[in-house]
Amino acid sequence: MPKFNPKSWPLAIKLSATITAVVTGVGFMIGAVMVVQDWTRSHEVLGEKAQLLAESVAITTPKAMLRKDYWSLYLSLKNMTSRRHEILTAMILDNEGRVQAHLQPADNPMGLPFSPANSIELDLFKQVMATRKPIVLSSGGFTKTGFQEGVIPLFSDQKYLGVVRVRLSVAQLYEESKTSAIIVLTLVLCFVIIGSVLGTIISRRMVKPLTAVTRALEAVGRGEMTDFAPIPIKDRDEIGRLSVTFNQIMVELAEKKMLEEEIAMSEKLVALGRITAGVAHEVNNPLAGLLNCIDTLREHPDNKVLIDRYLPVIDQGLHRIKDIVHNLLVGLKIEEGDEIESIEQIDKLHDLINAEIGEKNINIIWENSADKNLQIPAKLEQIVCNLLKNAIEILPDSGTVTFKMYRQGAYLNIEVSDDGPGIPANIRSQLFDPFFTTKPNGTGLGLWVVYRLTQNLGGVIEVESEKGQGSSFHVSIPVINTKAA
Amino acid sequence: MRSVFLLLVFWVMPAYAASTEPPIRFGLTAVVVTENLRFLDQWSQYLEQKMGRKVELVMRKSYREVMDLLDSGSIDFAWICGFPYIQNREPESLQLLTVPVYRGSPRYQSYIIVPQSSSYRRFGDLKGKIFAFSDPDSNSGFLYPLSLMAEKGETPETFFRQTFFTFNHAETVQAVSEQFADGGAVDSYIWEYLAIFRPDITEKTRIIKKSPSFGFPPIVSRLGVNDDTVKLMKNVLEDMNQDPTGNALLGQLKLDGFRHSPDSLFNGIRVMANTVLNLRPDFVGLASE
Repeated sequence: MPKFNPKSWPLAIKLSATITAVVTGVGFMIGAVMVVQDWTRSHEVLGEKAQLLAESVAITTPKAMLRKDYWSLYLSLKNMTSRRHEILTAMILDNEGRVQAHLQPADNPMGLPFSPANSIELDLFKQVMATRKPIVLSSGGFTKTGFQEGVIPLFSDQKYLGVVRVRLSVAQLYEESKTSAIIVLTLVLCFVIIGSVLGTIISRRMVKPLTAVTRALEAVGRGEMTDFAPIPIKDRDEIGRLSVTFNQIMVELAEKKMLEEEIAMSEKLVALGRITAGVAHEVNNPLAGLLNCIDTLREHPDNKVLIDRYLPVIDQGLHRIKDIVHNLLVGLKIEEGDEIESIEQIDKLHDLINAEIGEKNINIIWENSADKNLQIPAKLEQIVCNLLKNAIEILPDSGTVTFKMYRQGAYLNIEVSDDGPGIPANIRSQLFDPFFTTKPNGTGLGLWVVYRLTQNLGGVIEVESEKGQGSSFHVSIPVINTKAA
Repeated sequence: MRSVFLLLVFWVMPAYAASTEPPIRFGLTAVVVTENLRFLDQWSQYLEQKMGRKVELVMRKSYREVMDLLDSGSIDFAWICGFPYIQNREPESLQLLTVPVYRGSPRYQSYIIVPQSSSYRRFGDLKGKIFAFSDPDSNSGFLYPLSLMAEKGETPETFFRQTFFTFNHAETVQAVSEQFADGGAVDSYIWEYLAIFRPDITEKTRIIKKSPSFGFPPIVSRLGVNDDTVKLMKNVLEDMNQDPTGNALLGQLKLDGFRHSPDSLFNGIRVMANTVLNLRPDFVGLASE
């Protein structure tokens, strides 16, 4: 289920939603104000109308009341109603609140005190009987059953005779207001729809270049730069200028990437050349000696002394070539196999290295704090072996070699340090190049193989060294997930 | 409107320009004839044609006003009610001319009506209620209900809570149908007339009592009017049913015609008026208010 999270909405939708919301809000507010004002105004007009009607009745009323001409009083109310359907009720009361005439005579018999139907009517009745000035009574509120009532007190020679009440229904007004409200709201709705559509179109047009920039940047992030099409420029506003700049950046980035690829290609060629030269040199050197030995032996096939002297030389030379080829193969064509072995295999190297020390006075410090149950790639064994051999070889006659292995989070760390002469700064960048060596008999492939294996395992290798302070190699490889193994 | 009026003047002028005689003035009240101007025009034209003189119909609200016009000699003829006709005048100022014939007879009744939805069954049920009279000089609309009260030893003030005059039988029917009044006394002729033309009103009323028959409201002439004119008017009216136009006018009034009738036709009203006055002498003042 997609989450309702407006923060992740596209800018085009946010913009158009905002425009829609603003247009809707403003539209409906204006509409509501218009409707309310219209209602209030026509309500007031209705009140004035009720008062006018009551006044028109009141003109003839005092005389008829004095003559007790009840029929005329009734007819004056009746005639007023004949053309007006909005009249709810009308009545003439005497000074004691008795009915003199009422539009609903059956329920309000003439001559009897007017009896209000409920407490609200009683309240109104009290106001009517108390007033000595024309007033308008209102039911208030926006309801269909509401009314406006004109109240005109009657006087004859300044003597209070009674009162005329004419009550008009707001029902028609209500219907009219409702109709006008519907019209206004419909107009507002149309306005809102048009505004929203226009807003959406405009915001989409505005945001379109931004969307293109975002998509292109996302593609760049994924490393895809080939299918970049320049963003079309329509306007010269901020977004237009952004698009122009972005197009320029993209062109430059593409050029840079091409350049980098060319450089990488030439570097590869250089490395290949160096390897080829190294192989030629390293293999060629013993070959000359070997061929000499073989020539000598061929000339003196029965000379036992020569055979005893040259055969070990030939053997040694061929083994050297074999080692070189073996190491080259390891470095160039790392087997895809990912054999796994116990971490204890690493500790066995301790004894092997002790044997390599030979005559030198070297102290080996061995610290393995990693979990004994941990599994490691078999290739790690060769990495450690090469680093340890290197460390021993670099020490002149005496010194200390430290081996540390420990786990740090998802990585297994190996440190091999010596307190030898250190690596001169000028050769540090060539340290891991194939066939680069400072040792008289070195093949220059040991560290190269370490580097290639570490890379192959997805690890990193770092070197710390200072002249006269020794060197320290740090290898970090990801821990094999034992659960999966 | 103005052009119509001018046309009328031009059309009328040649016919009567030569005549120096004053117009005949005929008094009416809304109590008997509905205020239908078109009908009144047609009727006055008919009379003018037959009389050969200009006839002016004079409408007044009450019988009293018409009687005053007769007394002062302002009108020559009048359609009045039987009750004012039988009242004593010293000296006598009018004489019976002719009487309308309604449904074959120069007689009519008074109806006591109540709202259709009410529970009143008898006149006595109306005690303490609101009652509508037509005209203080009306036989059917006032004298008859007065006699009913007098029989019980009551007056309108003691018997009813409120009373009022509508000065128009049709409006009495309206007052009762709209329940402004709990009861009313009306001319049977008017009620039946309305039952034909405005059944929506009469359907909302119910007759709870009908009076005995009385002489129909008569046409009278003022004493002192030229005998020939009186005779001519009498003939014109009594011959109306012989004339197609006249008959059509009578049809509009729902009358059969006009008939010579003796003064004794109104004895019933005389008896009733005397009874009322004997029982309640104070009624005289009420009637002549």
